[in-house]
Amino acid sequence: MSLDWYGAWQAVTHHPLFGAGVTLGAYQVAMAAYERTRWMFLQPVLLSMAMVIGVLLLCGLNFAEYRVSAEALTLFLGPATVALAVPLFLNLRRIRQLFWPTVLTLLVAGVLATVLGVALAWSFGAERIMLMSMAPKSVTSPIAMLVASQIGGIAALAAVFVMITGVAGAMLGPSLLRLCGVRHQAALGMALGMTAHAVGTARAMQESEECGAFAALAMSLMGVATAVLLPLALALLA
Amino acid sequence: MLLRGLSWLVLCQLLGTGLNALFLPMLPGPIIGLVLLFAFLLLRGEVDEPLQLAASSLLKYLPLLLVPPAVGVMAYAEAIAADFWAVIGALLLSLVLSVMFAGWMMQKLIERQQRRREDA
Repeated sequence: MSLDWYGAWQAVTHHPLFGAGVTLGAYQVAMAAYERTRWMFLQPVLLSMAMVIGVLLLCGLNFAEYRVSAEALTLFLGPATVALAVPLFLNLRRIRQLFWPTVLTLLVAGVLATVLGVALAWSFGAERIMLMSMAPKSVTSPIAMLVASQIGGIAALAAVFVMITGVAGAMLGPSLLRLCGVRHQAALGMALGMTAHAVGTARAMQESEECGAFAALAMSLMGVATAVLLPLALALLA
Repeated sequence: MLLRGLSWLVLCQLLGTGLNALFLPMLPGPIIGLVLLFAFLLLRGEVDEPLQLAASSLLKYLPLLLVPPAVGVMAYAEAIAADFWAVIGALLLSLVLSVMFAGWMMQKLIERQQRRREDA
């Protein structure tokens, strides 16, 4: 009797949980690699993404099919985004004293970071879909991905640009800030958190507790401000 | 406990989706949900334990939840290759300038506030 190996393979790779299974596996491998090396370039999201793409190509599956079979995971992205309100609220309570410097810096420097990035890419000749994917580059990825797809960009690309910005910001940020004579821990944290989101915040926590707290606050404020203001601003411009 | 907090999060997301369909087509539902929950927390003045538990458990796995949308890169390989260096250049240049500006501005504002407090 000959076993139907091909049929079994097809049944497994086309099962509605195959995408979720591959993603769970890849994520755990990526987390283990990151925890062992603590190397910034091994961001778990990017590494898992590369592994999942590799598996999909090997199995001859396309993205549309994967997306359906990973829906069990993506379903929770909405409530997780809502949950970001909790750390934002907890962080806000910690900084009553520096409320106005924080809000003013957030508005002015946040607009600068976003407009400058888009304007530069536009002047270098990038397409509109790329511009819309990079506009939310300074905010944490769940928000950036939502915002990018809302304003006509590609969520996946936004995730890549966010990660590049975060890693570069965490690597270059502290020495650039010292070069400019920025000494105050709150100012260091603010700059790192609002431009380099979660990666910058992790870096800021290594500087000092105050620096880390401000980075976490700046990251959540920048995220919410971008999520609310960027689509509104584009709706007004269009 | 966890379920109660989770229900709140899902409720906010669903309210956000409803408002998105009714009045605010330009803001994604989960973002409206986030703002609603934040406003609710400001009114209440504290985070109760079930909500805290649900939020921290979900956020712990946030990177995992982001993998499926990130895999979408494979569907746009050509568009990325065409503009890749223009975008990377713009990203790095704007990052360097805005990091320095943000730090400098915050430092100046803090110093000004401190001077005012001393004068007062």
